[in-house]
Amino acid sequence: MTKKSINNVKLGGFVLGGVVFLVLLLYMIGKNQHLFGDTYLLKARFGNIQGLVVGNNVRYAGIETGTVSEIYIVNDTTIEVSMLIDKKMQGIIRANAIVSVGTEGFVGNKVVNINPARQPASLAAAGDVLVSRSSVNTDEMIQTLSNTNKDIAIVASELKHTIQRINSSTALWDLLNDRSLPQGIGMAVANVRSATGRADQAVQDIQLMIRDIKMGKGSAGMLLKDSSFALQLNDAVSRINAAAGQTDSLVIELQQTVAGIRGDIDTGRGVANALFKDSVGVKKVTGILENIQNGTDGFNQNMEALKHNFLFRGYFKKLEKQRQKEEKEKAKAAAGGIKVKTAL
Amino acid sequence: MILPAEIRSFLTDAGSLARFTGRFFSQGFRPRYEMSEFTRQCYLIGYNSLPLIGLTSFIMGLVLTMQLRPAMLRYGVESELPAIVGISIIREIGPVISALIFAGKIGSSIGAELGSMKVTEQIDAMEVSGTNPFKYLVVTRVFAATLMLPVLILLGDAISLYGSYVGVNIRGTTSFYLFWSQVFDNLVFSDVMPAFIKSYFFGFAVGIIGCFKGYNSSKGTEGVGRSANSAVVVASIMVFIIDLLAVQVTDLLGLN
Repeated sequence: MTKKSINNVKLGGFVLGGVVFLVLLLYMIGKNQHLFGDTYLLKARFGNIQGLVVGNNVRYAGIETGTVSEIYIVNDTTIEVSMLIDKKMQGIIRANAIVSVGTEGFVGNKVVNINPARQPASLAAAGDVLVSRSSVNTDEMIQTLSNTNKDIAIVASELKHTIQRINSSTALWDLLNDRSLPQGIGMAVANVRSATGRADQAVQDIQLMIRDIKMGKGSAGMLLKDSSFALQLNDAVSRINAAAGQTDSLVIELQQTVAGIRGDIDTGRGVANALFKDSVGVKKVTGILENIQNGTDGFNQNMEALKHNFLFRGYFKKLEKQRQKEEKEKAKAAAGGIKVKTAL
Repeated sequence: MILPAEIRSFLTDAGSLARFTGRFFSQGFRPRYEMSEFTRQCYLIGYNSLPLIGLTSFIMGLVLTMQLRPAMLRYGVESELPAIVGISIIREIGPVISALIFAGKIGSSIGAELGSMKVTEQIDAMEVSGTNPFKYLVVTRVFAATLMLPVLILLGDAISLYGSYVGVNIRGTTSFYLFWSQVFDNLVFSDVMPAFIKSYFFGFAVGIIGCFKGYNSSKGTEGVGRSANSAVVVASIMVFIIDLLAVQVTDLLGLN
C-alpha cells in the first residue's frame, strides 16, 4: 500500500517536527540556565542580597556568564551566594574581582555583577569566595534624595527671603539706578591705574638706587660700601679731634694774652694805655695834629706861590698841555672804536 | 433515592464514562496491539489537523501581540512584548486554544464516526467477526489523540511564536534573532513542562470523550448528530476543567 507508506512518512515528519521543537525549547531554556556545558562554582558573601533568588543571572563585565545556584545563610549578617560560572570564564575571572548585586534595568530582575579589579591577581579557582561590595540600594538612594530635597527646600526659602530683602532695599536700588556711578567708578579706576603706574615707576627708581648703592656708586654707595673711605673718614675725624684739642690750647693762650694786655692797660704801661687811659696825652696829640694842619696850609700857600713864580710857571704849563693832549687822544680812540664796529 | 432527572442522567453519564475509561485502561495495554490502525489514526488525527491548528495558532500569536502592544506601550515596556507573548503562548494560550480546536475537529469526527458505526451495527458485526471493536476502534483513537495533541500543540506554539514575530514587526522592527533570544531568555522549565504534560491530558480527554459518546450513541441518525455534538461540548469543558486542575497541581507542587 503506497498510500499508507506515504501517510506514515508524513506522520513521521509531523511527529519529528513536534519533537524537534520540544527539544529545541528545552535546550534553549537549559542553555540560558547554564545546565549544559561545563561550569565551575564561585562564591561571594553579602550582607544584603536585595531579593536575589536562585536562577538569577551572573554577569561578568556585563556579559552573561552564569546563574546563581544556591543562596545560603551563613549567619545573621552574612549570606553566601554560590554561582555556577561558564568554564570558559575560568581563564578570565581573577580572584580579586568584585561582586555586587545589581538590577537589570531600573525595575528588572536582580543580577549578580562580577567586575574586574584593575590590580593584577591570580585566576579565581573553583570554590573561591570573591570580594563583594554592597551596591546602592534603591531605598537608601530615595532616602538620600529626600534629605537632599529638604536641604534644597531650606536653601530655596532662604534665597527667596534674601531676594525679597534685596528688592525692598531702596539704598541698593538707588545705587544700582545711579547713572553717574559707572563713570565715577571708571574714573576712580583710571586714577588708581595711573597711581599704580607711578608707584611702579617709583619702585623701579628705588630699585635702581638700591642697586647702585649695592654696587657702591654715588656718595651714599661709597659711604656704605667703600671701606677705604670709611678709614679716611675715621682718620679725618680723629684729626678734627686733634685740631679741636689744639684749638683748646690756643684759646687758653689767647685768653692768657688778653688777660695780660688787659692787665697792662689797667696798670698804665705801654702805648695802648696811653691811648686809652691818658687824657693829658690826648690833649698833646690834638695839639700836634693842629700844628701839622697849620704847617700843611702854609705849605699849600708856598706851593701856589711857586706856581706863579716865573721860574716854575713853564713847568706847570707843560704839565697842563700834556694833560689836555691825553684827553684828546682818549676821545679819538673812542670814536675809532665805534667806526670799527660799524665797519664790522 | 429520588434525584432530579438531569442530575440522574449526568451522574449516569459520569459513571458510564468512568467505566468506559476503566475498560480502556484494562484493554489498552494488553496485546494484541492494532499498530496499523493506530498509525492510520495518528495520521488522520494528528497530521490532518495540523493545517487547522497551524492557522489558528498563527492568527492567535499575531492577534495577541497586536492586542497587547497598546497596553505595553502605555507602561513603556514595548520591548518586553516578545517575552510576554512568548510566555503566554507557551504556558496557556497555545495548549488551550489548540486543544479546543482539536476537540472541535477530532471530538466531533470520532463521535460521529463511532456513532454511525454503532447505529449501523458495524461494531456488533466486528464483534461477531472476532475482532475486538473496543481495541480496534477506541484504544487506537484514544492513544492517537493522546500522543498527537502534544505534538500539534508544540508545532502550534512554534507557528504561534512566528505569528507573534510578524505581529511585532508590523509596528516597529525586531530582528528574528533578537525576538528569539528575548522569548527564550524569559522562558524557564516551569513554563514549558506543565503545559507539555497537561497537553497529554487534553488529548486523552478529547479522545476518550469522543469515543465514549460515539460508542454509546443510540436512536439512529439523530443520535449520531447528538453524540458528535455532545462529544465536542463535553471535551471542550473537560479541556478547561483539566486546565484548572493542572494549574492547581503545578501551584501545589511549587512549579508555577
